[in-house]
Amino acid sequence: MSQVYDMRLRIEEKIKADGLNVLETKGKLALKTGKMLALITPTTPDDPDLVSKLRDAAKEVLNLSL
Amino acid sequence: MKSISIKTKVLVALSICLLLGVAGTMALMRYSFEQNARTLAVQSLNEAQKLFGILTAREVSKMTAVEATLEADSMLQKHFLSKNRDELLDFCKPIYGSLKAQGITNWVFHTVEPEVTVLLRVHNPTMYGDHLDRFLTKEVVRTHGMVAGKELARAGFAVRTLAPLTDSTGKVIGYVELGEELGQFIHAMNAQTGDNYGLLLNKKYMDRKLWAESSAAWGRRDNWDDHPAYVVIDKTGQSERIIDFDGDFGAIPDTGKVLERYRDGAAMYVRGVFPIRDAAGTVVGAMFVVRDISNFYWSMRKTQTVLVVLTVTALALSTLLVLAILRKLVFRRLDGIIAVATRVVGGDYQTEIRLTSDDEIGQFEKLFEQFRRVFVDVLSNVPELQERR
Repeated sequence: MSQVYDMRLRIEEKIKADGLNVLETKGKLALKTGKMLALITPTTPDDPDLVSKLRDAAKEVLNLSL
Repeated sequence: MKSISIKTKVLVALSICLLLGVAGTMALMRYSFEQNARTLAVQSLNEAQKLFGILTAREVSKMTAVEATLEADSMLQKHFLSKNRDELLDFCKPIYGSLKAQGITNWVFHTVEPEVTVLLRVHNPTMYGDHLDRFLTKEVVRTHGMVAGKELARAGFAVRTLAPLTDSTGKVIGYVELGEELGQFIHAMNAQTGDNYGLLLNKKYMDRKLWAESSAAWGRRDNWDDHPAYVVIDKTGQSERIIDFDGDFGAIPDTGKVLERYRDGAAMYVRGVFPIRDAAGTVVGAMFVVRDISNFYWSMRKTQTVLVVLTVTALALSTLLVLAILRKLVFRRLDGIIAVATRVVGGDYQTEIRLTSDDEIGQFEKLFEQFRRVFVDVLSNVPELQERR
């Protein structure tokens, strides 16, 4: 399992835990990272740029440190 | 890139419009006031000149009538021909009292030519025997008829009439002169118009000693040394500002000149000046006119304040209205598109963009909805998303 996929899962858990609007929140994250969360799979390579963007977006949108 | 919202830009633009509107309103009011103040100053000058002319003509007419009466008085002729100054003075004194009450301040008898000297000054009996080398004196001798005009004697400025005295055969036996000091005119003008006036004469046409003597005779302060170039004959009002002048009387146009507008406490004044010519046409002095335009000024200020308040209110309301319209027609609809776009990339492939109008934003909504459908169609073929769909 790639690092980015692991990040995706943690983000989805956080969204669920916080009771946020799933589609809207994922949309915001996708717009910030430039990649839909649904397209991040266990085989998605750990692109450093994507990892960095995902980390920043999670922090900004969910206040989640990855 | 620094982000400034359209709302902020519109607000700044409208604020600039508001400031320009207020500044423009104030400038327009100021300009209007300056123009009107000048018009009032010109009007006060014209009125003063006209009134001065009317008063002069009226007094000349009065003195002409008095001289005609005196000329017909055989007792006066008898006393004049006797050359007995004391008898003539005794005869004239009671008449002079009445004439003085009517404003006639000068009464002079001149002998016939060739001497043409002063036999008696009824208003100043101790001075006599001198020859007055003046324009009107020469004219009455030349024409042997009534002459009148403003003339500057060496001690003062007066409207004068000179007429020949004749005996029963019609032969000229001397001349009688009546005069009114012009200084008193300005008080009559002040009473009629409410404006303040100051009358100044050029010193070079006057005699220092005679001015001192006449000042003593009329019971006025000897003000010869108050100014190096001119003497203040009289003025209404206390302010010295009325007669503040350092120019050349001869350079003032005959129609008069507006000098300035000035403020004294809460009062606002406009000041002008016109030249005074004697009977020979020489500019010997000037009359200053000051009009109180305080009511007009404060009315303008009140109107200015009302206009500024109205302008600010109107522009503030316009700003609020424009922002409300922009919010309803543009910002709220853009927010809707952004919300849908955000949800689409979040995985919501069902929510459509609702077309609200056919205007520019409506066309954008339509275009974006078409784009959304294409995007959703593309996503439907992505293997990673098959499971979710």
